[in-house]
Amino acid sequence: MGGQSVSHTVTVRLENGLHLVPCSRLVKLANGLGCDVRIRKGSLDADIKNIFDLMGLAAAFGDQLELRASGDRADEALAKVVQLFESNFAD
Amino acid sequence: MLVKRGIAVSPGVAIGPALLFGTENFKLSRHYTSKSEIDTEVGRFHAALDAVCADIEENQRVATERLGKEYGAIFGAHVMMARSPELISEVERLIRDETNTPERACEIVLNKYAKLFQELGSRYHAERAHDIYDLKNRLLRQLLGKQRQEMSDLTEPVLILAHNLTPSETANLKREFVLGFVTEVGGPTSHTAILAGALELPAVVGVGEFLSEVTSGDLVIIDGDRGEVIINPIESVIAERRAAQKKNESNYAALETERTAEPITADGERIQLLGNIEFPTETEHCLERGAEGIGLYRTEFLYLGVDQEPSEEDHYQAYCKVIEALGGREVVIRTLDLGADKVPSVGGLLAESTNSALGLRSIRISLQYREGFKTQLRAILRAAAKAPPGSVKIMFPLISSLNEFRQAKMVVRDVMDDLDEAGEPFPRDVPLGMMVEVPSAAILADHFAAEVDFFSIGTNDLIQYTLAVDRGDPAVSSLYRTGDPAILRLIRMVVEAADKPDRKIPVTVCGQMSSDPKFLPLLIGLGIRRISVTPHSIPELKAVIRRLTIPKCKDIATHAEWLGLSRGVDNYLQGELFKICPQLVR
Repeated sequence: MGGQSVSHTVTVRLENGLHLVPCSRLVKLANGLGCDVRIRKGSLDADIKNIFDLMGLAAAFGDQLELRASGDRADEALAKVVQLFESNFAD
Repeated sequence: MLVKRGIAVSPGVAIGPALLFGTENFKLSRHYTSKSEIDTEVGRFHAALDAVCADIEENQRVATERLGKEYGAIFGAHVMMARSPELISEVERLIRDETNTPERACEIVLNKYAKLFQELGSRYHAERAHDIYDLKNRLLRQLLGKQRQEMSDLTEPVLILAHNLTPSETANLKREFVLGFVTEVGGPTSHTAILAGALELPAVVGVGEFLSEVTSGDLVIIDGDRGEVIINPIESVIAERRAAQKKNESNYAALETERTAEPITADGERIQLLGNIEFPTETEHCLERGAEGIGLYRTEFLYLGVDQEPSEEDHYQAYCKVIEALGGREVVIRTLDLGADKVPSVGGLLAESTNSALGLRSIRISLQYREGFKTQLRAILRAAAKAPPGSVKIMFPLISSLNEFRQAKMVVRDVMDDLDEAGEPFPRDVPLGMMVEVPSAAILADHFAAEVDFFSIGTNDLIQYTLAVDRGDPAVSSLYRTGDPAILRLIRMVVEAADKPDRKIPVTVCGQMSSDPKFLPLLIGLGIRRISVTPHSIPELKAVIRRLTIPKCKDIATHAEWLGLSRGVDNYLQGELFKICPQLVR
């Protein structure tokens, strides 16, 4: 797995939580990244490439999520994911 | 292993593979494939997946065009679920490593995901679980190249698990392939319960939601004595229930020796035991069990499982079959007793069919749409000409006022005039009776007694209407109490009204109450001498009758009436039955 591991915490600001469509946006984004990104909510942990995992988080409005990227150019990957959350999944 | 509890409605134990019978259901004829076929099977899975995704993408295109991008994105997410590497690799693994067919593999994997979502508890996730079931059904449809499972194309014995079974679905099943029934909804008097009783198959109803936790092909035990459904049981439980199954059979065989014995009490009073049937073919079965005749022929089964209303000839053939099999014994033919939605020619005429127990049903349909009623009556009268005088009787269901009974009688007279004109032979003095199943009919039984030839107390509906409990609604099914003192009092009122000094009118009790051995001493004590039951229970009822005396029954009835609480009545009767015939206490 090599390289460094970085993390960042975001808050879900989607009115309906992290529902199916934003989950699918995350997966799409993840597939273009060269490293592993995972999301943690409490004791739950999801691979952002796995749509079922993401749905399983049942992340609602206001929930805090910890994003963690590891591998090559983890910084860059993490920034892209954080950016998606900060734009509130705008196109 | 998973144990579910419901209402035990038909005794016995059945063990076998489950068949989920639902709105979407597929027959998985094979669960496993051979090693040499694995690559082909994986290929089939991918072809099906591609076809399903192409379908959804087409939906996505249309939705985006018409409703906008955000709607299209929903379908995009569905494709993403379908194409998710986790799903694909899991299905492939089940095919490659465990030689499952792609159908079975898809069912297992997608059920698992759907269940995960359901367990998250939110409504949003529950809806996504539906999306996953939908995806599964699309995949299965592709893989199987069709088609819902039909009960009529069963090819091996299974246990039927369903949310609910409509009477037409149950009417269409191939009996030799059904070992038992479980439904999520329904009460002790649902059609499934009645039919299971008639077919002598174990059944449990009112289990509540559980189908998502079962997969077709899972091994399931239905324990119709304890009201349990056990999914994927462990070995020791299978062994234990198999032993119970054996014991049941030997118990039954012991009672079977009483089959030819007369149903006479220990002090010499004769009780008439008759059978209830739905189909003409059941007649012989009734006689084999020792019935003296048919006390209730539910003719509505002629209307079920067909798109068209039965013709006079259909009716006539069915009745002739019963009459012939009976060889001169009596048969009480009950005219149509269905909700309006089940009657083809009427259903279409209704703006909105509520199918309410208080709505347009049964005799009310017959009196409003007289053509169908006349067709049925003509057939009965013509068939009755082939039987000894008085042995064929006509019974009207759901009579709630004198006026209704008189109207029904008038229609019979009209039909007789028509037959006279046509020169068709028929018995002019055919006995005409009524079901007492609406409280008003029981309360006014003395008035009715002046006009009817016989009464038959239909306890299922009488209890439902008296206690205002919808028997199909599991949320209130615990309020449906057969032993309620109000019911006992109504039965006594009918018996007393029928016992006139100048003319004794026969009173029969049909319905589930009379098939339950613990109620028999009570009914006899209340003065009932005719009972019509599911044929299966005749041997055990005979065994009870032969151990009773009339004074003992009268004591039991008096005490039960005095108790005042249905729970107290139930416990008391159970205790009395234990003293009389311990092997029958379940």
